[in-house]
Amino acid sequence: MSAVSHKLLFTGLGLMVGLLTLTSLLIGPAGFSIVDSLSALFGGSGDAVSLVMQEIRLPRALLAIMVGISLGLSGAALQGYLRNPLAEPGLIGVSSSAALGAVVTLQTGLAAQMLFALPFFGLFGAGVAVVLLLLLAGPRGGSLTLILAGIAISALAAALTSLVLNLSPNPFATSEIVFWMLGSLADRSFSHINIALPFMALGWLLILSTSRGLDALILGEDAAASLGINLTRLRWVLVLGVAACTGAATSVVGAIGFVGLVVPHILRPFVGARPSRLLPASALGGAALVLAADIAARVILPDRDLKLGVVMAIIGAPVFLHLIYRTRRAEL
Amino acid sequence: MTTSCLSLQDFTVYRGECPVVDRVSTELRAGDLVGLIGPNGAGKTTLMRGALGLLPHQGHSSLSALPANTRARAVAWLPQTREIAWPVSVETLVMLGRVPHLGAGQSPRAEDHAAVSDALAAMDLTGFATRPATALSGGEQARVLMARALAQNCPLIMADEPVAGLDPRHQIATLAHLQSLTQSGKAALVSLHDLGLAARFCDRLILMDHGQKIAEGSPEDVLTEDHLRRVFGITAHITRSEQGLIFQALEVVE
Repeated sequence: MSAVSHKLLFTGLGLMVGLLTLTSLLIGPAGFSIVDSLSALFGGSGDAVSLVMQEIRLPRALLAIMVGISLGLSGAALQGYLRNPLAEPGLIGVSSSAALGAVVTLQTGLAAQMLFALPFFGLFGAGVAVVLLLLLAGPRGGSLTLILAGIAISALAAALTSLVLNLSPNPFATSEIVFWMLGSLADRSFSHINIALPFMALGWLLILSTSRGLDALILGEDAAASLGINLTRLRWVLVLGVAACTGAATSVVGAIGFVGLVVPHILRPFVGARPSRLLPASALGGAALVLAADIAARVILPDRDLKLGVVMAIIGAPVFLHLIYRTRRAEL
Repeated sequence: MTTSCLSLQDFTVYRGECPVVDRVSTELRAGDLVGLIGPNGAGKTTLMRGALGLLPHQGHSSLSALPANTRARAVAWLPQTREIAWPVSVETLVMLGRVPHLGAGQSPRAEDHAAVSDALAAMDLTGFATRPATALSGGEQARVLMARALAQNCPLIMADEPVAGLDPRHQIATLAHLQSLTQSGKAALVSLHDLGLAARFCDRLILMDHGQKIAEGSPEDVLTEDHLRRVFGITAHITRSEQGLIFQALEVVE
């Protein structure tokens, strides 16, 4: 694909994210006018409108973008590394471990006592998962051992999460845990952004630094190594990047599926299938998809607190089915 | 004395307890086109991968001693398994050969584009540049991957069965191109199963069996009746002609 159409693709994706951000900022139960909303967003008069705009809607939109970038990048990077279009950020077990950490704080009531116990324990869970991955897959293990270790960790974390649910003291705690696990951007503040952003930003940088290696891996591990790519280093930079991104994302908004799977898949043909180009494209595409799903969650059933993870799965699964159908037809 | 491109001394690779490459020593200099021959499991691939530093080994290899970046500009490696993971264009794939010559995030320069189009032309792939590499036939993909190794433009090319799966025309063209590269001062180490092509194109053959170097020398000296029977278990008809050595395998020896 030529340079011009790449420019077009990135401009288009950028515009989409911009428009969706604006839409996300402008819709809500308060029903302010567009002019009021925008002037309140940038003016600091401390009235109700500016409070809603600056403390509720702005962090919500920013968090949607951050989570979208994290999941899109992680999905594209893992697919590139494993050379498998079915890889997704949850594969290495970090998101389920982060969810486990968060769920424990809900079950023990720690989340209610300390405002930020939940995201911190989520990040702690993600960290434990990375250490376990290192121990299980070994510093020089291949990609297969990495996947197997990830599956084992995911299964363990899911089992422990079920145990926590099983032992939850009362139905309220159970429903709180279940609803949290569905994933949502509602009621998040700038404090959540402050907790997540450093980890996410670190993850983004780590992942983007692997783009050369991911391109070389098109030729397989042997050829990539002979092109001067340090595969051991690449693997751990990638695992740490994905863990930092998705661990932070899960810790603040819960488990959001499908973004990391569907977005790289949709955008791959537009970047000539090059992993290095797919990374930034998937980051923008992920941001657009999470923004759109969050808007849909608020618009479709405004009174029922529809969860983002649910909307994402409802949008994502049919899109994915369609893609599978198209791939199958192309193979015939 | 021409420059050394690869030197192995008592080079040994273990798999578990068992040495799969056993104390091999050899040297490749600029201008050499060396064929690595031997039956399946003789240790040809392991020798090449080990020499590149891709496997833990004992003994000395001048290449594995180099830092990875320097090595990537000293030797181009074409593995036997032909992997193309994503449907990238042929041009993008061949451009990967330029990775060692480009800094992180640097776009290809005019010389990189020139190296890519030279490699495509050498492998008879002009006009394929924009096609998705995964949509090509197996033999065409093999040529694209060879073009990638050529585009790396290193003093030494190591290729593991570069002509397996190619049609006769492209088998001959590929080896003829390697021959012209070595005549212009590069070196090549290629493993081959087609002893006819090995006899015809290589200056020197290394015969391996059970991890050991059985013989090294001119095709005439290596492809002896005794070696063929002992190592390959075959008989062959060998004649010398104006075209060089003509080798035709005949029968299996019981």
